[in-house]
Amino acid sequence: MKAILEVKQLVKKYGDFTAVDGISFDIMEGEIFSLLGPNGAGKTTTISMLSTLYIPTSGEAVIGGHSVTKEPMAVRNLIGVVPQDLALYEDLTARENLAFWGQMYGLSGKTLNARIEQVLEQIGLVDKAKDRVKTYSGGMKRRVNIGVGLLHKPKLLFMDEPTVGIDPQSRRLILDSVKELNKQGMTVLYTTHYMEEAEELSDRVGIMDNGKLIALGTQAELTKQVGEMETLILHVGENDDPERLAVALRSLKMVRKADVTDHTVSVIVPEAEQALAPAVTRANELGIKIHSVDMREPNLEAVFLHLTGKALRD
Amino acid sequence: MKKIYNIIWKDTILRFSSLSELLFFLILPLIFTFILAGGTGTQNADNRIRLLVVDQAQSPLSAQIIAELAKSATVRPDVLTLSKAESEFQARNASVLLVIPADCDSQTLRTAAIVLDLRQMPDNLNAQAAQRAVQAVLYRLGSAVSIAKNAVTEAEKLRSFASELDRQAYFDTALASAQSLMNSAPDRENVVMGGTIDPIQYDPRANSSAGQMITWVFIPLIGISGAFAYERQRGTLRRLLTSPTGKGTYLLGTILGNVLWSLVQMTLLVSFGALILKVHWANNPAALAVMMTTSALAAAALGTMLGTFVKTEAQASGLSIMLGMVMALLGGCWYPLELFPAVVQNLVKVLPTTWAMQGMLDILLRGQGVIGILPVAGVLLAFAAVFFVIGILRFKYE
Ligand SMILES: Nc1ncnc2c1ncn2[C@@H]1O[C@H](COP(=O)(O)OP(=O)(O)OP(=O)(O)O)[C@@H](O)[C@H]1O
Ligand SMILES: [Mg+2]
Repeated sequence: MKAILEVKQLVKKYGDFTAVDGISFDIMEGEIFSLLGPNGAGKTTTISMLSTLYIPTSGEAVIGGHSVTKEPMAVRNLIGVVPQDLALYEDLTARENLAFWGQMYGLSGKTLNARIEQVLEQIGLVDKAKDRVKTYSGGMKRRVNIGVGLLHKPKLLFMDEPTVGIDPQSRRLILDSVKELNKQGMTVLYTTHYMEEAEELSDRVGIMDNGKLIALGTQAELTKQVGEMETLILHVGENDDPERLAVALRSLKMVRKADVTDHTVSVIVPEAEQALAPAVTRANELGIKIHSVDMREPNLEAVFLHLTGKALRD
Repeated sequence: MKKIYNIIWKDTILRFSSLSELLFFLILPLIFTFILAGGTGTQNADNRIRLLVVDQAQSPLSAQIIAELAKSATVRPDVLTLSKAESEFQARNASVLLVIPADCDSQTLRTAAIVLDLRQMPDNLNAQAAQRAVQAVLYRLGSAVSIAKNAVTEAEKLRSFASELDRQAYFDTALASAQSLMNSAPDRENVVMGGTIDPIQYDPRANSSAGQMITWVFIPLIGISGAFAYERQRGTLRRLLTSPTGKGTYLLGTILGNVLWSLVQMTLLVSFGALILKVHWANNPAALAVMMTTSALAAAALGTMLGTFVKTEAQASGLSIMLGMVMALLGGCWYPLELFPAVVQNLVKVLPTTWAMQGMLDILLRGQGVIGILPVAGVLLAFAAVFFVIGILRFKYE
């Protein structure tokens, strides 16, 4: 597989402050790559450099064989950008916005009109196309914001936190359309601070914090790299003593740890599923009733916690 | 090119998406022009300043002075008896009164100066203008007289005159030919004499039509700064600069669109001035086109430069209204510059509005053509160049 984007030691400083601190990664053609990181991690700054808006302090990025610093115009023809903050003319209608931006990307005539219709369909705003954007809900505006980035069918689409602050319905529509676009062959660089989105969408994930790329790989690779155990959570009845159960479970060979909080026992094991049957047997022996069971696989949240010692969302 | 057209189109929709824009584009300028012009004009009305004249000499020379005054674009001589003229003046029916003394004839003139008596209302703009007009006429006659005097002296060196009558006859002939020479070259005289004798010509309709046009065209053009702030605040500028559209295309489209709209606006206001107020905008259409374009470019450039200093759209719109008004006031668009002290008159030459107004009045009141207004147009273009260079060099997406 071929890399469509290669980033090498990219640095951006604002005065003394280093917003992006020497990050390197590649994105393969046809991939959805997520940059996951908390507020201020440097995601937007990275995208701004890759989309030729900011000039990097040092380092280099190449998109489709063109340097972002030396051949910005060639790069701009390959990329689409969905900025974190809405970038629309609110006094124009959705259709007028699409028409204007399409023309700025060099589309015109029949091609443009056809693309506008397709995009309106894609973002689910055919009915509202004639209304001014300022009359739209937040979610609808976000969808137009995305639509603008799709018009010229970019090879590589940058989406900077496209789901921030919107209703679940719009979010679902956006996530689904990202997957659909990817199926049609578009490569996507997606930034988010929602672990779930990164998990749902991405082939590979880069975790950013304080301007640095602190981990990079598929989800499986990342979680393995952390060596996180799975967690089995047993909810016991009100009248039962969870501490007794915990003591009993600690004697099992596979159990590394068993903690009690309120009426639950959290058991750390390499494989939660395998531990379930023995744990239930022990509980029965003790006459303790188990109400329900949860199993947690290791997730990116845990990876982030492990690497930085802090939660992804504060 | 297509992109530039699209940018202009987008700006046009945005601009006129609120009806209040029409208020600034046409309604307010028309109302102000109309009010300050003092109502409508009629095609044949003589709106020159009434100048009471008392001719005590009844000589060919005094008749000549009156005839010259009658040709003036500024004053309309009204010859009356002394008592009648004085009562008119007392009644404030006229702001200036000129008494031509009995000794005003070419005989006295050949040997001595003649003192004319000009009375005027204090602090009266029309009176000041009339005074300048009278001075200009006398200056022209005076120059002719001194030429004629010289002619007599020179002639006397070559031959002696048979009699005093002969000498007077020779003087009169020389005076007449000097006058006709000067009359046939009025432009040269204006240029050579420059500001010192250039008569102020004040015509409320022309001044209002030109002044209000400049005021209301400068305000939205300075407001280009607001368009830049708007695009920066909305993030659309950042988005544009990640598209294959260059910064140059964006700037050109935005500026060109605004300049074109200002030309439309000016054409409408000029039509109003010409048709309703009977202002002589049709004097020289080519010169008018040059003045409109260069004024618009200077204002647009100022807006472009300010656009790199303002932070928000609100700031920009406040600033452009304030700056546009102040510059128009100081530039003589609301009151004639001649009302200001000389120092101020020189200071305000740093404002493009001053030059724009001067150029417009050159066309309207001083009958200048393209060549005549070229220096003014040149100054406006220089303003445009300086402001554009600063603006474009400083231009940023955030
Ligand atoms: N123009 C600027 N000048 C100075 N500092 C800046 C500028 N832009 C961003 N920063 C700083 O750089 C850091 C990274 O910002 P950036 O916007 O890239 O983060 P982010 O990961 O996109 O965060 P968020 O999730 O909040 O969008 C932040 O600390 C921010 O304050
Ligand atoms: Mg961001």
